[in-house]
Amino acid sequence: MENILEVKNLHVSFDTHGGEVTAVRGVSFDLKKGETLAIVGESGSGKSVTTRAIARLIPSPPGRIKEGEILFNGKDLAKLKEKQMQQIRGKDISTIFQDPMTSLNPTMKIGKQIMEGLMKHQKMDRSLAKKKAIELLDLVGLPDAKERVDQYPHQFSGGQRQRVVIAIALACNPQILIADEPTTALDVTIQAQILELMKDIQRKTESSIIFITHDLGVVANVADRVAVMYAGKIVEIGTVDEIFYNPKHPYTWGLLGSMPTLDNEEESLVAIPGSPPDMLQPPKGDAFAPRNEYALEIDNELDPPMFKVSDTHYAATWLLHEYAPKVEPPAAVKKRMKGFGNTGASPISKKGDD
Amino acid sequence: MSGEKLLEVSNLKQHFKTGRHSVVKAVDGVSFDIYQGETFGLVGESGCGKSTTGRSIIRLYNATDGDVKFKGVDVHGTKSHAQLKMFNRKMQMIFQDPYASLNPRMTVLDIIAEGLDIHGLTSSSQERKARVQELLETVGLNKEHANRYPHEFSGGQRQRIGIARALAVDPEFIIADEPISALDVSIQAQVVNLLKDLQKKHGYTYLFIAHDLSMVKYISDRIGVMYFGKIVELADSDELYKNPLHPYTKSLLSAIPLPDPDYERSRTRVPYDPSQLDSSEEPEFREVQPKHWVLCTTKEFEAYKQEIKQ
Ligand SMILES: Nc1ncnc2c1ncn2[C@@H]1O[C@H](COP(=O)(O)OP(=O)(O)OP(=O)(O)O)[C@@H](O)[C@H]1O
Ligand SMILES: Nc1ncnc2c1ncn2[C@@H]1O[C@H](COP(=O)(O)OP(=O)(O)OP(=O)(O)O)[C@@H](O)[C@H]1O
Ligand SMILES: [Mg+2]
Ligand SMILES: [Mg+2]
Repeated sequence: MENILEVKNLHVSFDTHGGEVTAVRGVSFDLKKGETLAIVGESGSGKSVTTRAIARLIPSPPGRIKEGEILFNGKDLAKLKEKQMQQIRGKDISTIFQDPMTSLNPTMKIGKQIMEGLMKHQKMDRSLAKKKAIELLDLVGLPDAKERVDQYPHQFSGGQRQRVVIAIALACNPQILIADEPTTALDVTIQAQILELMKDIQRKTESSIIFITHDLGVVANVADRVAVMYAGKIVEIGTVDEIFYNPKHPYTWGLLGSMPTLDNEEESLVAIPGSPPDMLQPPKGDAFAPRNEYALEIDNELDPPMFKVSDTHYAATWLLHEYAPKVEPPAAVKKRMKGFGNTGASPISKKGDD
Repeated sequence: MSGEKLLEVSNLKQHFKTGRHSVVKAVDGVSFDIYQGETFGLVGESGCGKSTTGRSIIRLYNATDGDVKFKGVDVHGTKSHAQLKMFNRKMQMIFQDPYASLNPRMTVLDIIAEGLDIHGLTSSSQERKARVQELLETVGLNKEHANRYPHEFSGGQRQRIGIARALAVDPEFIIADEPISALDVSIQAQVVNLLKDLQKKHGYTYLFIAHDLSMVKYISDRIGVMYFGKIVELADSDELYKNPLHPYTKSLLSAIPLPDPDYERSRTRVPYDPSQLDSSEEPEFREVQPKHWVLCTTKEFEAYKQEIKQ
């Protein structure tokens, strides 16, 4: 399948009073036409910054893209002027951001906010745009769309606001939809509807989606592929089945283990101990090592490269090195594995240089 | 759980005027009790009135009707300054939106210490700072974070600041409005374990609002399911998951995505169709079996009793 987006060695930093916060430290991935790539990872791991960089929405100062390329249909977005980017943003690349309240203008009726893009990018006239706005609000499951188009953001609940933001993002049938926790504020029934809606629109328009979420249930539902981020880097990437049924990185193990299942009775949750590293002073070696019970000596010295598990599956952990001791993933994770018989390290080769 | 009622909500209504002739009945006659030391989960569709219920309880809104008692004292009727101050301290809320709820111009230190200042809980600036640092560590942040501003934090980090702020004034009852939905799972587990530990240690009582049903089940002793301003079902959390009776609850449970791609590929959602409900009379909140309540008509009541026997 054809790549619509190629992110290469992306570095993003923020200059703060305390010094340079290295939020994204060498992220590379491809996005194929028509696929959904989920990005998961701890709070602060750089998911939003990565995707905001793609949409060129990093506030500057204090933020800056230090290094790397963001190739969209072959064009490097990292090098575009804001003027040129405005032609792409909202039309070819649309975003749904984590905080619905700050992405809506509190002083403008929501209908008008949806109509703006339609009038600018699709050259619709006012009355057509308004009709389309009501249609979109209906589509995202907002009741009484006809009356509610004329209301202001504060008159909506958190989840309703998010649906308004989703309607805005979908308005122009974007080629890439960046959805940063789009359903986090929603209850499961509306979430299920929105996810079905997004998949439906994706099927019709062949758009590609980058989907950031904390909810591994949602990942299992929407993703074709999954990238796991930790401390500004992708530590594991693979197809959704590879990540859920044959995870290789201890951080991925931790993520999968900390989800309660509906049938777990008394057992307390397996939380990953400690807290994420301070990106003002990212630790030497593997940033996850201090919290990783499977850490090896070398993790304190050298950041592991990406090891290849399969053509589609890579993970950055020294455990995959041929000389590494064989370790078993925790029981809570092993329970989930199926169809991948072999759980130890498989033959591996290095991918690129990293 | 001591079995003593800490909070009694009866027939709470919160209606908003949204136009000259239109009214949103955000909360429309909700009644429930919360016992000392328990966690009461409130779940339901977006816009069903969960946040408004929480906000009305702590008097961010004047209730349209009904009353709320905290330790037997009417929260909404009271006028005495001292009593209001007591409520403000003893009932804390952790807000849904970690972005909007933190003042961007204040340092984390001042945000967390605000309550300490208002209630005069520390006597020197050193003590104030030490207390804030302790709180930061309690919620899994670093001491060094005290001098930074909210925008320098990620969503999850901000939510933990909100939790630290709520804990600062030594509350008894905490309304946590989707406190973990902005956090990734590994930190969710930490925060949930943290909230549970704090509960054990300090005996906090929680009203836990969320839409992540697996987490709600995990943390709550009892759960109320809300739909369009009303509670449609209320039961012990295990019971609710084992024997959901109201069709809305069943639909809700069928919509939970689970972290298993194979399961997700084959999952079928049961849509909720309110027109299937019996409309021969006004439904009432009825106890189908001890501690398991459902909003239903007499006819449905009989049917549910049969259903639960099987
Ligand atoms: N404007 C800013 N100034 C300074 N640091 C920032 C700024 N914006 C983000 N950061 C830092 O960049 C890092 C990555 O943040 P980002 O928002 O991408 O995290 P995230 O993975 O999206 O987390 P969450 O799941 O909590 O939303 C964090 O350490 C954060 O503190
Ligand atoms: N200040 C207000 N003015 C008018 N209507 C309001 C106001 N606040 C809330 N509402 C309406 O009341 C209803 C309940 O809102 P509430 O925020 O309580 O929902 P919620 O259950 O918390 O939803 P979510 O899960 O999306 O946060 C919604 O229809 C909302 O539009
Ligand atoms: Mg984010
Ligand atoms: Mg709410």
